[in-house]
Amino acid sequence: MAESGEFELLGRMTIGQYLPTGSPLHTIDPRGKLFVGVLLVLTTVATGSLLGLTLLLITVVAGFLLARIALRYALSGLRPLLPFILILALLQVFTIPQRGAASVLWHWGPLIITDASLLAGITLIGRVFAMVLTLSLLSFTTTTTELTHGIEHLLLPLQAFRFPAHELALVAIIAVRFLPILAQETERLMKAQASRGADFGRGRGNPIRRTRRLLPLVVPLFLVSLQRAEDLVLAMEARCYTGGRGRTHLIQLKARHRDYAFVAALVGIAVLAVTLSVISADHCVQGWLAGML
Amino acid sequence: MSSVEESLIRTVGLHYTYQAGTRSPVAALRGIDLCIAPGDYVALVGANGSGKSTLLRHLNALLLPSAGDVRVAGWSTRDSTHLREIRSIVGMVFQEPDSQIVASVVEEDVAFGPENLGIQEDELSERVDWALRTVDLSELRHRASHMLSAGQKQRLAIASTLAMRPRCLVLDEATSMLDPAGRRQVLETIRTLHHDGMTIVTATHNMSEAAEATSVVVLAEGCIAMQGTPREVFAREDELRALRLDTPPAARMAHIVAVQIAGFPTDVLSVGELAEAVAARCAVPRG
Amino acid sequence: MNQREAPIIAVQDLWHTYLAGTPLETQSLRGVQLEVFAGEAVGIIGPTGSGKSTLLQHLNGLLRPQRGEVYVRGNALSRRDAAVRGVRQSVGLVFQSPEDQLFERYAGDDVAFGPRNFGLSADEVRERVRSAMEAVGLPFSCKDRLTWELSHGQRRLLALAGVLAVDPLVLVLDEPTAGLDPQGRRALLRVLSAWRKAPGRALVLASHNMEDIAEICTRVYVLSHGHVLLQGTPREVFARDDVLAPNGLTVPAAMAILLLLKARGCQVPTAALTVEEAASAIEAVLHG
Repeated sequence: MAESGEFELLGRMTIGQYLPTGSPLHTIDPRGKLFVGVLLVLTTVATGSLLGLTLLLITVVAGFLLARIALRYALSGLRPLLPFILILALLQVFTIPQRGAASVLWHWGPLIITDASLLAGITLIGRVFAMVLTLSLLSFTTTTTELTHGIEHLLLPLQAFRFPAHELALVAIIAVRFLPILAQETERLMKAQASRGADFGRGRGNPIRRTRRLLPLVVPLFLVSLQRAEDLVLAMEARCYTGGRGRTHLIQLKARHRDYAFVAALVGIAVLAVTLSVISADHCVQGWLAGML
Repeated sequence: MSSVEESLIRTVGLHYTYQAGTRSPVAALRGIDLCIAPGDYVALVGANGSGKSTLLRHLNALLLPSAGDVRVAGWSTRDSTHLREIRSIVGMVFQEPDSQIVASVVEEDVAFGPENLGIQEDELSERVDWALRTVDLSELRHRASHMLSAGQKQRLAIASTLAMRPRCLVLDEATSMLDPAGRRQVLETIRTLHHDGMTIVTATHNMSEAAEATSVVVLAEGCIAMQGTPREVFAREDELRALRLDTPPAARMAHIVAVQIAGFPTDVLSVGELAEAVAARCAVPRG
Repeated sequence: MNQREAPIIAVQDLWHTYLAGTPLETQSLRGVQLEVFAGEAVGIIGPTGSGKSTLLQHLNGLLRPQRGEVYVRGNALSRRDAAVRGVRQSVGLVFQSPEDQLFERYAGDDVAFGPRNFGLSADEVRERVRSAMEAVGLPFSCKDRLTWELSHGQRRLLALAGVLAVDPLVLVLDEPTAGLDPQGRRALLRVLSAWRKAPGRALVLASHNMEDIAEICTRVYVLSHGHVLLQGTPREVFARDDVLAPNGLTVPAAMAILLLLKARGCQVPTAALTVEEAASAIEAVLHG
């Protein structure tokens, strides 16, 4: 059964999956959600404070509750990333410089764990979780169409400065639209070449040989993509597309009070998170950790 | 054929060469003189490589002639100032359903064309509604475009072109990638549009489709080999065979029968006409 | 066709669920029975979504039976240790628009891909390429031409040669004439008929084009919603318009014309597969 699974995997691929649960979060203006999403991601980077991160994580978890989406669904998406996160965190724990360290918690030869480094490791894990969960929530509650409209409308003011807002949004729309098609094409090509005895190799042979084995896939896929791109350009030209200037829009995004309230609330939380970091609330946490261990 | 003033699209001495100036130029069109009047339904037939697609792409200025002239509603396609008007008047539907859909939602794809023309919001909605109604896709207006069947996708492509309010619809083998059900839906739509006054130009391999046109143009190696009403063209079976083309099955059968049965008409085009001819000559029905 | 011999391919009570366990799960095959004997040309017709493609992919082991069984030359494909590689060599599958999969710069190299994958020597590969190209009507000298320079029809024949070069017993094709012009279609059908004539070989053809089926198939299966509605010779199957029409299937144009004539009151026999047969039927009636 291995082979049928191998080929059908592409059919199961869902990029930026949308889960319609009809929650209030789904009806918030996409521009608001995009803005807040980017803001929260930036805030997780800006706030070095564990307290700040905890605040952000609580916010995101509350978001999942509001969206009526099970948190473990998003966490299962994190699973493939876990090994990397753990390695990075361990690196932090063992190698972070001694600046600000109050006490050494453990040592064995050259490996030292201080309260500061332990904190750094935990902070890193918290950061990654916060970022990934935020972006997941954004994609679970916003359709790709809403996302591209949101991006397009947010960037519109920049068109006055000759910024190609619509062109970029269109690139995003088309890329998203063609991903499933290209996945299907890849599957078809793999099956066709496998039917002629091709073996896409489970790690046999050196890297060069293994790459060469992919040529029967890569070349036709590239050609098919180019052909589709060319066809699409012709179709767009035939419908008078000449860039974003002067275009009108069927879909008008209208912001309501609740959208503004949503954004205001989250800006507040973000500010609070950064403030916590600025006033260095973490000294308390460090001390507490040291006392515990 | 109509006079110059009456024609919607007119080509004079149209030549086109691919890869001109390189080591291997290909003369795809070698002197095409064509006149398409408003309300015509022109079927363009010819073997692969005869120049059908190349010719069609000159009709809305996607390609410009290497020599000769193409005029749409009086404007030359070489004149870039009238490009928008030309492409609004002549809309085009391509062969591959997926490669001409831009947006991920049906109604947004239909709106794409008029949005490009800067049509204001109210009229925009109206045009989208009308186009979807005409191709009978109104219930699917909020559906994701990749979830349509191939036949529905081609009807979507037609709607997206109709929203630009063209006077002429050009179809480049629009039914060749469809299954029989899809093909039937698209042909039905085309028939209705023509009945309501749309000028149609279609390239096709399906001779039964071509038989429904008001005029058939046969292309071979970049030149017009034959031209006339379907009846005139499909009667010349031997010439068509020499050009590697078929005739509609009903016409073929009529020709074979006419060899044995004296007086049997050879200018039969459709199944209906064949049935009439046979019924007229049928012996008294037994039983 | 010797019915007492074992079939090359036997499909028994085959079931398949697409994307099992996901919200998009659908049953694409429900208990399909099918056999392919040497010397046959088996046609499979059915509306879009009937499971034709899924069925074809079971015939060369791309899909393994989830429930039921597929035997190729006696090998059961559901077994973990089934010799799938051997099956790929015995059953050659040609997908729709096969010219899309060409990837080598030179035409001959692309045809050689299959034989090389099966580990043949350089001389054997060369010989296979030569005979495959000749079988499809492309001169051997074409092997040194750039793949992209060939015409659309030639590229399709080249892709077919790539599968023939593996020297399969059974050739399975999905919509082989879709998108070809009348001459291209005639050339391809000629190639397929000629190939099948050699002893021990069989053809399986899934198509929307009823004229193709009528012209070259010896036996036809009608598939709808994942199971076989009807099977028999083309004449037998196309006579059952009562089964075909409700499932969105048509009969060959020639037969459709005769059916229309009969509906109008003319006593014509309606069992004609080709234009020539239909014309003869009409002549017979008019002679009185």
